[in-house]
Amino acid sequence: MNSESIDFKFFIESDNNPFILFGVNGKILYLNDAAEIMLGYTTTQNLYNTALIYAPKNFGYKTTHVEIQYDMLLFYALTVAYQNEEQIGLKLYLKPRMDTAQTINTDKLQVTNINALLEANIALFKIHNNGNLTLLTDHDLPSCRIDQNNFSKLMRKIFDLFTLASSVHITLKLIVGEYIIIQNRREQILQLSIQADIRNSSDDQMIQKMAQEIHTLCICKADSITLHIPFIQK
Amino acid sequence: MAENFITNSIQVQNIIKGLTLTKSLFVSSILIGEPHSGKKTLIHQLFPTAIYADGANRAQLEQLLEIHEELIIINFEKLHNIEKLHFKNKRIIAIANHITNEKIIDSLFAFIYQMPPLRERKEDIDLLAAHLLGEVKTNLAAQKDLAIDTDKLDISKNMLSLRRSVYYQVFAQSLDETQIEEMLYNFFLERLKGKSDYKTYLYLFEKPLIEAGLKKFGSQLKLADILGINRNTLRKKIYELGID
Repeated sequence: MNSESIDFKFFIESDNNPFILFGVNGKILYLNDAAEIMLGYTTTQNLYNTALIYAPKNFGYKTTHVEIQYDMLLFYALTVAYQNEEQIGLKLYLKPRMDTAQTINTDKLQVTNINALLEANIALFKIHNNGNLTLLTDHDLPSCRIDQNNFSKLMRKIFDLFTLASSVHITLKLIVGEYIIIQNRREQILQLSIQADIRNSSDDQMIQKMAQEIHTLCICKADSITLHIPFIQK
Repeated sequence: MAENFITNSIQVQNIIKGLTLTKSLFVSSILIGEPHSGKKTLIHQLFPTAIYADGANRAQLEQLLEIHEELIIINFEKLHNIEKLHFKNKRIIAIANHITNEKIIDSLFAFIYQMPPLRERKEDIDLLAAHLLGEVKTNLAAQKDLAIDTDKLDISKNMLSLRRSVYYQVFAQSLDETQIEEMLYNFFLERLKGKSDYKTYLYLFEKPLIEAGLKKFGSQLKLADILGINRNTLRKKIYELGID
């Protein structure tokens, strides 16, 4: 098969998995759309170092199955390839997320003042934690539709992981420029982040499952848990 | 209003804050705590107009759940098959003396509060005793100044025993001679059986008399003089009555 005249660039460009071609000293020569998004969560230097670590010993390519996380982006494998001393390519494979079959019946979600809901959950948390707690939020956030009961259950479970923390910082804000499509509607994303000096991570998987059930993305890190909540207004 | 709920306990104040914030939300909450720890009073003050259902009457509860979007369920521990209840899009406040299945409670309720018993909120005891003293003085239309001996307050059954011990102390301080006589009359009427009962029940008079005398006058010598009895007789009585 003669592939000389086929333009592969379009296919690489639109691949969901990030691909970056580095030049000498880690300078980016090319990156696809997915890689551009990935650079919002990590640095070029970090990615270049990863490419060098997992590069094959000789010219050619090597695929390694390893779990790598850059903030909310989770990968299960990567391929590093080079055929000369000038260029090295890195491709990361996105870990598929479980997709719940449920659809959101937005009419059955209650119109909610998200700050009031969060305050109620914080009040419960403060019964079990005497540490220093700070809350950074936007009090002008408009009401949104949310499953108040299940969201509160999720929050209780999350806060349970922070009971031993002596310092907890909570941030609630709307993410600018990112959207989620729900029933053909583009919805904004509300980011709720709980960060502390120490946290328990034993129930991370259960929390991620609970979050998924209310169509929320849960990003668990060593010292924090971040939720991406669909900000449904209508 | 819950501002009237008497407490200095930070834990209870946080429960009040949490429940107050859920007043406008459709979430399920449960307040668990020992009997008479103030759960019902607190919930009633926070949700004065809410409809009540009793966990002991499941049929009525299910009926009320269908009609109302806000419901207070008392005696929740008496309910069986609670996993079959549906609280979606409702404001449920359950009150339970204890829970039997932690897992089901965990999956059913978003907000789980533990009401501390009085022995764990010592900061509330004097406050509640003072409130009860005011209550009893009003109820008994007591004229004279009355004081509470805080060492004699009983919190073993939370508000139930505390109220009882405050009422008892006030009652004991406010009786006049006629009432004491009447009280003893009723007591003897019930107890006298006819076998040297004079000797058997004489301690009821002698013991408090000598104890109070010793506390007031300090020495046996002086008390014997005050009572007009021989000091050897007094010493013998102290021994017989087991007075320390």
